[in-house]
Amino acid sequence: MILADFLLAQPWFVWLILLPLGGAASTFVLPRRVAPIGFCCALLILAGAVFSVCQLAATGSLTQAAGHWSAPLGIVLRADGLAVVMLATTAGVGFIISCYALGYFPARGHEPSRARYFWPLWLFVWAGCNALYVSADLFNLYVTLEIVTLAAVALTALEGGAPAVGAALRYLLTSLVGSLTYLAGVALLYAGWGTVDLSLLSQVLTEDPLSRTAMALMICGLLLKSALFPLHFWLPPAHGKAPAPVSAILSALVVKTAYVVLLRLWFEVFASFDRAMTAHLLGALGSAAIIWGSLMALRQERLKLLIAYSTVAQIGYLFLVFPLAGAETAATVWTAVILFMVAHACGKAAMFLVAGTIQQTAGHDRISQMAGAGGPIGVLAVVFALASVTIIGLPPSGGFFAKWLLLNAALATGQWWYCPVILTGSLLAAAYVTRVLSWAFLDVRRNVCPVSSRVMKWPPLALCLVALLLGLAAYGPVRVALTGAPVTGHVLVEQRP
Amino acid sequence: MNDLSVYAAAGILLFFIGLYALFFRRQLLSKILAANVMGSGVFLIFIGLVKQPGQSTDPVPQAMVLTGIIVTLCFTAAAIALAIRLKELNEEHHSATRPEDDFG
Amino acid sequence: MTLLFGHLIDLLLAVSLTVLAWRLLATSDLFKATVLFIAFGLLMALAWVRLDAPDLALAEAVIGAGITGVLLLTALRHLDSGARVARMSGRSGRRSLRVLLPALGIMPALLVLLCLSSPHIRSTAGLTASVIERLDQIGTDHPVTAVLLDFRAYDTLLETAVLLLAVVAVWSLHPVRPIFSPEPISPAQRGLLRLLLPVLIMTSLYLFWRGSHAPGGAFQAGALLAAGLLLLLLSEQRLPGRWSGMFLRLLLAGGFMIFLLVAAGALVGTGTLLDYPGGGASWLLLSIEAALSLSIAALLATAVIGGRPSDRSTEFPPRRKDPAGEEG
Repeated sequence: MILADFLLAQPWFVWLILLPLGGAASTFVLPRRVAPIGFCCALLILAGAVFSVCQLAATGSLTQAAGHWSAPLGIVLRADGLAVVMLATTAGVGFIISCYALGYFPARGHEPSRARYFWPLWLFVWAGCNALYVSADLFNLYVTLEIVTLAAVALTALEGGAPAVGAALRYLLTSLVGSLTYLAGVALLYAGWGTVDLSLLSQVLTEDPLSRTAMALMICGLLLKSALFPLHFWLPPAHGKAPAPVSAILSALVVKTAYVVLLRLWFEVFASFDRAMTAHLLGALGSAAIIWGSLMALRQERLKLLIAYSTVAQIGYLFLVFPLAGAETAATVWTAVILFMVAHACGKAAMFLVAGTIQQTAGHDRISQMAGAGGPIGVLAVVFALASVTIIGLPPSGGFFAKWLLLNAALATGQWWYCPVILTGSLLAAAYVTRVLSWAFLDVRRNVCPVSSRVMKWPPLALCLVALLLGLAAYGPVRVALTGAPVTGHVLVEQRP
Repeated sequence: MNDLSVYAAAGILLFFIGLYALFFRRQLLSKILAANVMGSGVFLIFIGLVKQPGQSTDPVPQAMVLTGIIVTLCFTAAAIALAIRLKELNEEHHSATRPEDDFG
Repeated sequence: MTLLFGHLIDLLLAVSLTVLAWRLLATSDLFKATVLFIAFGLLMALAWVRLDAPDLALAEAVIGAGITGVLLLTALRHLDSGARVARMSGRSGRRSLRVLLPALGIMPALLVLLCLSSPHIRSTAGLTASVIERLDQIGTDHPVTAVLLDFRAYDTLLETAVLLLAVVAVWSLHPVRPIFSPEPISPAQRGLLRLLLPVLIMTSLYLFWRGSHAPGGAFQAGALLAAGLLLLLLSEQRLPGRWSGMFLRLLLAGGFMIFLLVAAGALVGTGTLLDYPGGGASWLLLSIEAALSLSIAALLATAVIGGRPSDRSTEFPPRRKDPAGEEG
């Protein structure tokens, strides 16, 4: 009983920031012990995330003012539903990726330096993500975004080849433009209202040219960072060329960080603004991203590039939320988008991890040369198929449930034209996944392949199962996601005739 | 707005000059310089708008800009390291075929 | 009359900043662009003085013009494509030095001038009033230091994380790599370096001491110390092999780790992040600052140098002997 009280009293969401930061510093200082330290850190973070979910269920959303200095002067941290779902997702996906990385970056292999730098950088990404989810301060969000970006860029370049380094450099410069643009918006808001706290701003902000300019700047910067079509140009090379666990980190977690900030701005800070035009513009870009990304994925020769373009398409769905969030449907789309992020994080991470195993087993990732994969790759192809269920959006996956909610919201708000876009996206996703699988199962000509380690085969399967069964157990995440959410209404909206 | 907003105006100009150069200059080092100029522009906007004539500057945005300067320096260091590495890799790759390339 | 004069200066500064930015981005001569960028940094420092932000002026003079300048000039040597290096092999290095030395020499003088001319914060715009109101509750008299180390200390913690992260990122990229000019520097230049170094260190200590009550503090002092470290490297000093391993890594991560431990300790003790015991006693803030300054100096210098130390505990950064002898 005392233990339970003690556990409930701990501010777990703050520990979730300090733990990976400490882990990153220690793995840097002790390069010969990176794997054990990193793995212990991942385990502890997973435990902390579980506690923090329990805590949210028990006590509702929590806030903490760093150093006891409250809002206009200090920085407020806040663990609401969105933050805790993202913390838990990052912990779960991150833990599986950490297991996989033990096999992918062997500490005693021929290239120990990659393992040596993977762990501190990855823990920095993790710390940055966790800090971003719980931050309620616009400037602090900028700093956390920069931590995530800088670490992600270095991880991309870890592959070592000229294409990867070039992609990383382009990623860095693009992100830098994005965050500076965002910071310009923050500057305008501070000049106008003297605070950068999310909830204070949402109370005092009035619609005038200054705040509208700030909104435009911040949204543009974040769009660049979250790679919405047509600003996605940096994403496919970076995600496609990075080492497989890194691609999984980037696609599953990092692209969503800027989007989470955008959600907070849209539904909280600028909630009172008249922004129908912006919403429709974002919706149109999202639709274009779905179609364009899927078509490009269909054309790719390389498995990892295909998955990277699939990410471009999936990001499009996230932006349908803005036009679909009406007064009635806000809660529906809020839940839909959170479920979608969770399902996509699990599914996409699993796909990239499997692609990495295939690449190591077959020695390449050319789709057309995967014929004859019956032997060792056969199992992997099955895992890949399972992972893609949620990306396509078939029942009972989390992706299906999220898309269904989006369709529901589209019909309820009378914007039926988003329905064919969502359905076409699913069909195209089915097409590009089938293209990979059809090659993999084509003819059975067994090659002699190196056997990949166990940790590179089975952890992705766990992620697939989570994504697959998320639709069945969606009630839990939905309830958590709506805790302290800045939206009202019901999750399921009845259609009006 | 106030009569020191001439700095904010310069900041806005710097922001756009930097943005333009970042997209249209070919040389990597120029792109990195452009990002730095953009950053300086944002910082000037920040302080230029906050500063009231005859009063001293608010310490909170000063601290924020100081943080921004350090963060931008970190990004510059990383970008330059990446650019040098890219150059080395390209030279290893085709040292004999193409002595002159557009990374400068 | 003075008001008009002030306006004129402001206008002139703003225009020359814009023109300089345009020129430095328009030129295709990268050396020229770099020199113009250093000048741009110095003008930015002046702009900060005019905007009554002496802390930023100090930071910009040391970081924007100094450290970034060194970073760019060393980058130029590596980025200059093959043909150009062949054409002016020795010159680029000496040209770099010729720019670098005066820049580093002017800096301390400029800093002292800046410090002496900076007025104290006295009024009530924005959050100024609420910062000054609470100054007596914490262990420092200077508002900006108070914001950095107490009110928004969490930002500063993450910022230090970014600094450490930058070094990890740079080290993850490069194999071992020697820096700076291959040709020895002239005795006169060496003498100048010897003269400059103590000045830089003294100025850095002075800035650190001032941070508690006036513009200055951990970041500016650390950056100036980093400039001193870079000067040491220029005069062919190296970190001995047995120190380039664990010792160097602890030095780099130390400031951040101590800050993090204080944050975690406060979280265990009071349940709140960075809630300093005793409302932020001055000795605690001072020791955090001291650790931060040392780490920042080491981090900035290491980030500028580029390559990581070799595993075989040799000198860091390694000397350049002949092009073939480099480790790939």
